[in-house]
Amino acid sequence: MKSLTKLGFAALLAATALTPMGAAAANVELTYLTHWAPDTVALLEKAAAAYSEKNPDVAISVRAVPFGDLLTTIRSGGSGGGTTIASIYDLWLPELVRDGMVAPAPEAVAGEVGSAWPAGIAAAASVNKVTYGIPNEVDLYALNYNKTMFEKAGIGAPPATWDEFEKDAAKLTDPAAGTQGFGLINSWAAGVVHPFASLLASNGGTLIADGKPQLDSPEALQTFQLYETMVKNGWSVPAMGTADANTTGPFLDNFVSGKTGMIIMANWWESALKAGLGDKFDTIGTAPIPVGPSGTESHSISYSWMTVVNAHATDAEQKAAWDFLAWLDGPDSGKNGASAMADILQSMGILPSRSSDVAAFKSALSRPFLEGYVSQLANAKAFPIVLGGQEFTESLQQTIEQLEYGQISAADAAANAQADAESILTRAAN
Amino acid sequence: MTRAQKKPVWMMLTPAVGLIGVFVVVPMLLTIWLSFQHWSTQTGFETAKFIGLRNFEDLFSRISVGRDFRGAYFNTAVYTGISVVVILPLSVLLGLLVYQRRAPGGTFLRTVLFSTYMVPMIAVALVWSKLYSPTEGPINQILSWVGISPLTWLSAPDTALISIVILNIWQQIGYFTVLAVAGLTQIPQTLYEAARVDGANPLEEFFGVTLPLLRRTLLFSAVIAVINAVQVFEPVVLITQGGPAGSTNVLTYFIRRVGIERAQGGLGSAMAVMLMLSLIVVIVAIFAFARERKEDA
Amino acid sequence: MSLSSRGTTVVNPSRGGIFRSVLVLLIVFAAIVAAFPLIWMLLSSLKTPTESMQTPPVWFPATPSLDAYRDVAAVIDASRSFWNSTVIATTTTIGILVTSLMAGYAFAKYRFKGRDLLFAAMIATMFLPPIVTLIPLYRMVSYLHFDGSLLGVIAPNLANAFGIFLMRQFIAGVPDDLIDAARVDGASELRIVFTVVAPAIVPAIAALALFAFVYQWNTYLWPLTVLQGNTSDFPIVLSLGRLLSYNRGAMNTNLVMAGATLAVLPPLVLFVFLQKFFVDSIVSAGVKG
Repeated sequence: MKSLTKLGFAALLAATALTPMGAAAANVELTYLTHWAPDTVALLEKAAAAYSEKNPDVAISVRAVPFGDLLTTIRSGGSGGGTTIASIYDLWLPELVRDGMVAPAPEAVAGEVGSAWPAGIAAAASVNKVTYGIPNEVDLYALNYNKTMFEKAGIGAPPATWDEFEKDAAKLTDPAAGTQGFGLINSWAAGVVHPFASLLASNGGTLIADGKPQLDSPEALQTFQLYETMVKNGWSVPAMGTADANTTGPFLDNFVSGKTGMIIMANWWESALKAGLGDKFDTIGTAPIPVGPSGTESHSISYSWMTVVNAHATDAEQKAAWDFLAWLDGPDSGKNGASAMADILQSMGILPSRSSDVAAFKSALSRPFLEGYVSQLANAKAFPIVLGGQEFTESLQQTIEQLEYGQISAADAAANAQADAESILTRAAN
Repeated sequence: MTRAQKKPVWMMLTPAVGLIGVFVVVPMLLTIWLSFQHWSTQTGFETAKFIGLRNFEDLFSRISVGRDFRGAYFNTAVYTGISVVVILPLSVLLGLLVYQRRAPGGTFLRTVLFSTYMVPMIAVALVWSKLYSPTEGPINQILSWVGISPLTWLSAPDTALISIVILNIWQQIGYFTVLAVAGLTQIPQTLYEAARVDGANPLEEFFGVTLPLLRRTLLFSAVIAVINAVQVFEPVVLITQGGPAGSTNVLTYFIRRVGIERAQGGLGSAMAVMLMLSLIVVIVAIFAFARERKEDA
Repeated sequence: MSLSSRGTTVVNPSRGGIFRSVLVLLIVFAAIVAAFPLIWMLLSSLKTPTESMQTPPVWFPATPSLDAYRDVAAVIDASRSFWNSTVIATTTTIGILVTSLMAGYAFAKYRFKGRDLLFAAMIATMFLPPIVTLIPLYRMVSYLHFDGSLLGVIAPNLANAFGIFLMRQFIAGVPDDLIDAARVDGASELRIVFTVVAPAIVPAIAALALFAFVYQWNTYLWPLTVLQGNTSDFPIVLSLGRLLSYNRGAMNTNLVMAGATLAVLPPLVLFVFLQKFFVDSIVSAGVKG
C-alpha cells in the first residue's frame, strides 16, 4: 500500500505542476486571442504591458494561432472555455451572438463606436442594433499589376473596364514563358470569393440583397462568364493560384516572380509583397477594380475585423476587458493621437478604420501602394454579414473553383451557387 | 477464484479501463447521441435539441453540405483504397529486400525506411509541400531531367489527392516493411527447401510459400493501413485546406470544419457516426476475406 | 556456399553476381528515395532566402548558414516548446506503461467473468479514429477545466488500448511458476507486476515506451484543439504550425525547413540509438500476436 500512496502523491504533484498557475500579483487576468504573426504579437504584448503598468491589477496575455485555426479555436472554446478577448472577422459575429458567446458592449463603448467610426464599419460590429465589438482593421481589394510586364506588353494604363481587362490579360499571357495575364486564387475561401464579389459589385451586381442571394442575376452570370473566358483562353492558369493555410503560397510566389501580370488582392498583403520583392516593390501598381458591362462605377468588397469579449467571462474580467480594449483602440494609447491598435496594424501595412486613426496616419496611408486602396474606401461595399455567412462563402468558393478548373460551365455555376446559397441561408436563419 | 484474488482485478483494471472508458467510450457514446441532435458546438450539451434522423437525411440530400460530405467520403475511400493497395505489396517487396542476405545493406535500408516513420506529420507536410512546388521544388526538376514536363501535384484537382497519398505512403512504409520482415521471419526454412527440392524457381517459391504464409501479417497490415489512412489530417489542414475544388477534402478535415468551424455539432457527429460504421464494415470485411482465403488454402 | 539460417540458397555464382548487383541497386534506390525528403529539408534549412527562391531549385547552399535556426528559435520559443513536448511525451508514456502493465497482467493472468468481452471491447477502441470523439471529448475536458493547459493534452492519453494489447500478449508468455513463487513469498499483486513480471518482458516494455513516446511527441490534432492558442504550452509540433505565418512565399522556405528539422531531431535521434529495441519488439510482437 505504501507504494500506492507514494504513487498517489507523485501523481498529485504532477497534476499541480501541469495545471496553469494563476499569476501571483494581478486580480484580473485577461487572455487575448489573435492570428497575428509572432513579431506582431510582440507589439501587442508591448502595448498590453504598457497598459498593465498603468493598471497593475490587470494582467493580459496574448495567445496566437494561425489564421486557418482561428475560427475553430474560438468555436471550440465556447461555453466556459475560451479566451477573454478575441479578434474576429466580422462575418463570424452573427453566429457568435446567436449562441450567446459574445457580450454586448457597455454603453460608453457602444457610444464611442457609433461616433468615432464610419457608419458602415460600426454597423458591421453590431447585430440587431446592439454593438458587440470594437472594430479595428478594414480591408478591401484592388487590382494589383506588374508595371514592368505592362511596359513590355505595351500597355499604357491599368484596365478600367472588363473589355480592357480581357485584352490586357491576353497580351500579358505567354505560355512559353510560363506567364499568365490574370491570377485566380484557389484553396482559400476569401481569396476566391472576395475578388469575385468585387468584380460582381463593379458590374452592378451584389451577392445578397435583403437577405436573399442574387447569384443567378444577369450581372452575376456575366461575372461567372468572365472567369470562364479567362480560364478557357489560358489567360488565367488555376494551377498557378493555389494558396496554403497561411494565405500565401504559389499565387503569391508567381506574382512576386513576375509570372502573373494582374491579380486582385487585399491591401494587407503589402508586407508579403515587400518581403518578396525587396527594392523591386515599386514595380507593383494598384488600381480600382475594372468596371463590368452592367456596372457604372468601380466598387471593391470590404470587410473588417473587431475585438469581442467572451460572454462567459466573469463580470470583473469583462469589465477589465472592455476598459483595456477602449484604451487600446483609443487616441491616447498610440503616437500622435493614434491608437496603439492603429500603430500595430500599420506595422503590417494594414488599414485602421477609426476616423481619428485614419487622420493620424494620413501621410503613411497616401504612399503609392496603399493610395490605390484608400481612394476606393468610400465606394467599397461591405461583404454581407449574415447567419451562415461562413458556410455561404465556402460553398460559393467550391462552385467558383469548379468553374476555374473547367468542371462546370458558367451557367451551371450561377445556378448551383444560387441553389446552394438559398438553402444555406434559409437553414442558417432557423 | 478466491475472495482474496478478487480485489486485485479491480485495482489492476480500473486505471486503464477507467481512463479508456471515460476518455474514449463516453465521448464515442456522446457522438452517437449528438448525431440525433441539433446542437451548436459553441454551447453546452444542455442546448441540444432532438431531431431524429434529420442530420443523416441532410448528409444524403442534395444540399451543399450533403454533396460535400459525399465528396469527402469518396475522397477518403479512394485515398484509403490506394494506400492499402500500394502499401501491402510495397512493404512485402521492401521487406524482402531488407530480409534477404544475398546482398548487403538490408539493415541499413531498414533503418532509413523506419526513420521516416519517426518524423512528425506536420514536418512531413511542410517539407513535401516544398518538394511539390511546381517551380521551386526538386521533384518537378528531377522529372525534367528525364524529360517529363512539370506536373501540377498539389495545385490541380486531378493530382492533389494522389500527391498526399504519396507523401503518406512515404511516411509509413517503414513501419509496414518492418511488419513484413517480422512475418517473413516466421516462415520456416524447411518449406523453402521442400519447394526447391520440388524444382520451384524463386517466383514460384514466392507465390507458393511466402505469400500464403504472410497472410496473417498482411491482414494486420491492411487493418492498420486503413485506420491510418482514415486519419489523414495535417497535410490537408496545413497545405491544401480541402482544395483545390474540394479534391483533397477528406472526412477528418470536413468533420472538423463542419463540426467545429461551423459549430454544427449535430451534423459533425452524424458524419463521425457514418465514418465509424464504415470502418466497422471495412474491417469486418477484411477479416472475413482473410478467413475465406484461409479456408481455400 | 552453405545454407545459412536466413533465406539464402546455393546458387550459381555467375548468375548470382548479377542478381546481387540488382539487389544492391534496388536497395540503394529505395534508401535514396526514402531519405531524400529529409536530406532536402536539412539542406534547405541552410540556404539563404534568395537561394530558396531560385527556379529551377538549387540543391546545395553555396554558403551554408545557421541563420534560419537562430531566427526560428527566437520566433517560436523553441526551448519552451521542446520542454512542453518532453513533459507531454514523458508523462503519457509513463502513464501508458503503468496502466497497460497492470491491465495487461489482469487480462493475461486472471480469470474473471466477462474478461474476454472486456478485452475485446478495449481492442475495439483501438480502431476508433480520434476525430470521431474529438468534439465531445473537448467539451468534457473543458467541463473539467483542463482545457488550455498541458493537463488537458495529457489526461486522455494516460491509457492506451494498444498498450494493453501488447502487454497482455507478452505477459501471457511469462511462466506462471514465477508469479506463484512470488505470491508464496507474500508479495502483493502490485509488487508482482512491477518487480517480477515487468523485468521478464523488458524488450516489450521498451518497445511500447518508444512507440508511445514518439506517437505522443508527434501528435497534432488533439493538442491543437485543447490548447486553444495557449502558445506557452505548445509542444514543438504546434509551434511549428505557428511558423506557417512566416510561410510568406518561397523566400522563407529556409525558416520553415529549419523549424521542421528541429521538430524531427528528437524522435529521430531516439530511434537511431534505440532502433534495435523497436525492431526486435515488432518482430516478436508479430510472432506472438
